[in-house]
Amino acid sequence: MLRTKQFPRVSIAAAVLAAVTACVIFAGPSQLKPSGYPQLVATQPLPEMSGEICLEMASLQEPKAPLRTASANANRAPTSDADRSPLRIIHDTYPTYSAIGVDTNSNEIFLQDENLFGIKVFNRTDNTPPGAAFTEPKRILGGLLTKLEFNCGLYIDPKSGDIYSVNNDTVDRLTVFPREAKGNVKAMRELHTPHRAYGIAVDEEAQELYLTIEHPPEVDVYRKTASGEDKPIRTLKGDNTGLADAHGIAIDPKNGWMFVSNHGSASSPTKKGGRFDPPSITVYPLKATGDTAPIRTIAGPKTQLNWPAHTFLDREHGELYVANDAGDSILVFRETDNGDVAPTRMLKGPQTSLKNPTSLFVDTKNDELLVSNMGNHSATVYRRTATGDVVPLRTIRSAPRGKQADMIGNPGAAAYDSKREEILVPN
Amino acid sequence: MAHPQIAAFARLAKENSQPTRVLAGQTTLLSRTMHDIRYDAVHDEIFVNNPFAQAILVFRGAAQGEEPPIRIIQGPNTRLEGQVDRLDVDPVHNEIYIPNHEKILIFPRDGNGDVAPIRIITGPDTQLNDVESLAVDPIHNVIVTAGARPPTAPGQTRSQADQVYGGALLIFNRTDSGNVKPIGVIQGPKARIVRINQIQIQATKGWIVATQPGKYEEQEPEGVFVGVWSINDRGDAPPRWFIGGPKSQIKKPRGVALNPKDKELIVADMRLNKVLTYYFPEIF
Repeated sequence: MLRTKQFPRVSIAAAVLAAVTACVIFAGPSQLKPSGYPQLVATQPLPEMSGEICLEMASLQEPKAPLRTASANANRAPTSDADRSPLRIIHDTYPTYSAIGVDTNSNEIFLQDENLFGIKVFNRTDNTPPGAAFTEPKRILGGLLTKLEFNCGLYIDPKSGDIYSVNNDTVDRLTVFPREAKGNVKAMRELHTPHRAYGIAVDEEAQELYLTIEHPPEVDVYRKTASGEDKPIRTLKGDNTGLADAHGIAIDPKNGWMFVSNHGSASSPTKKGGRFDPPSITVYPLKATGDTAPIRTIAGPKTQLNWPAHTFLDREHGELYVANDAGDSILVFRETDNGDVAPTRMLKGPQTSLKNPTSLFVDTKNDELLVSNMGNHSATVYRRTATGDVVPLRTIRSAPRGKQADMIGNPGAAAYDSKREEILVPN
Repeated sequence: MAHPQIAAFARLAKENSQPTRVLAGQTTLLSRTMHDIRYDAVHDEIFVNNPFAQAILVFRGAAQGEEPPIRIIQGPNTRLEGQVDRLDVDPVHNEIYIPNHEKILIFPRDGNGDVAPIRIITGPDTQLNDVESLAVDPIHNVIVTAGARPPTAPGQTRSQADQVYGGALLIFNRTDSGNVKPIGVIQGPKARIVRINQIQIQATKGWIVATQPGKYEEQEPEGVFVGVWSINDRGDAPPRWFIGGPKSQIKKPRGVALNPKDKELIVADMRLNKVLTYYFPEIF
């Protein structure tokens, strides 16, 4: 407000200055007084004001401005093709990994690249040397034919190695590729999904495929081989479910449980007014359908949940892993946990190189935990039982060391902060 | 989409520049699908929508990290329904404008909590139909909305519905309320509006600057552009200028912002995951 209050003084000064200058110009040199009298001898342009300030003051000066003013009164000009090159482009040119999958038969790691839209495949034991710029993937899947876009969920069939990619937002497709697929190729199977699908889990025994929908939040269960416009065989949704901006999903067919992570933003289809729930892991019977309430909920300050993203259930050890995006951490809970409980283990700290982890995989064959980090273009590998601030066993890095990811994703808007001369970009 | 955030970049940032600050995390109450963001330079505040929680969040202009909003508009009295997708703020008249399906809701700029709107534009005469976007011109006292998008028929996809140039820009008086007719409609094959996303108004000259991202379901649709119309254009008026050719590089523009001081137009492109800045003195 200080700057706006100053404007009238500047305006008055400018007007006086302009008037005096005009007098000087039109009066001519003969009107100048002899040396020794006060007189105008030089002018200096005023500093340029920011547009917002000028805009406001213009409004105050012309509160009843007619609709047709300025250029609006000009005769209607033909359309001008103003095509031109951008002066500058803000863009992260490196892959940004939103999800990870592992084929323990072929010893390959699959990484979802949500920035450049594709899937990069690496050897399981790849390890980028500290001095190297990045590790080259052994295969890349991507291009318009693949329909990989805002690809945020990934499942690798443990037997066939088939790649299941959840493509969130406008594509709204689950695309399935053979393990060896590479380049710009069509999927061997597509399933049209609801808008904003995110998490994926598969019950191999029952041959059922589970998808979370972020909002309106729901869990849709399909036949594993569903394609085209096939509909879900079950849907979990409604006010009683406690689903709120649903993200990750994990299942335990043996005990009959389903785990869903929730960011917390919610609104009801039947009640007016939105709400903010705390972040949570909600647990349901595996075959839950309709508006079923959770049988347990993990939530509260002790949990340290902070935008919990993908989850993974280690059935062998009865542990639920959570990629804790905004906490830069991996949280491990007992799958029987309930309420406001502390994780049994937590990976967090500068030595871990965790940065916005959004997905993970527990490899019980090799006793390892693998994490995709959206925030630093990497996948990091740890001992399965690692805890605290530990150094990764291996790192697959796809950008120079220390390069943080911009994480611009599906930018739908922009604003200009004229005070700080910054461009604001929301995802 | 995996990670919500608001990232701030220096005006001169370019490829692989790091953000100067990032707003993200549980206590920010942000979600994905922030289809609008506005900076109020007079009060140094950031306004953004949370579509899933039907909320408008207001942050300090310098907010960063896991910083909570300073004000929230949310609750049953707000009459916000469905997906709360976009907004604009008028720092001169101290009002917030929110397009909300068949209505436009107007709140006090400093509204906080479960507040009722101070005005509502709605009704059959308004022609508001799935209104998705708007911008306010505090000098000429008009609101420009993007609406009248053709509804999808049963069994019809969004893309099929978008085949025709059925999108429109509707212009209302800023102080309108109730079931009022728009004072102007821009619509037709020459206007080339399929659907409009974010809108800005260059108020000193009365220009409407709007992004047209093309058909919804296509990854790289044809006919995308950033178009400029006058607030006095009516009927089947083609854009005065449009950016959208091969030089521009844009593939699916959704966001637009203006930097009057440097005569720059800033475009957010969802297909490219890029933000592109153009020198565009013609409109300033």
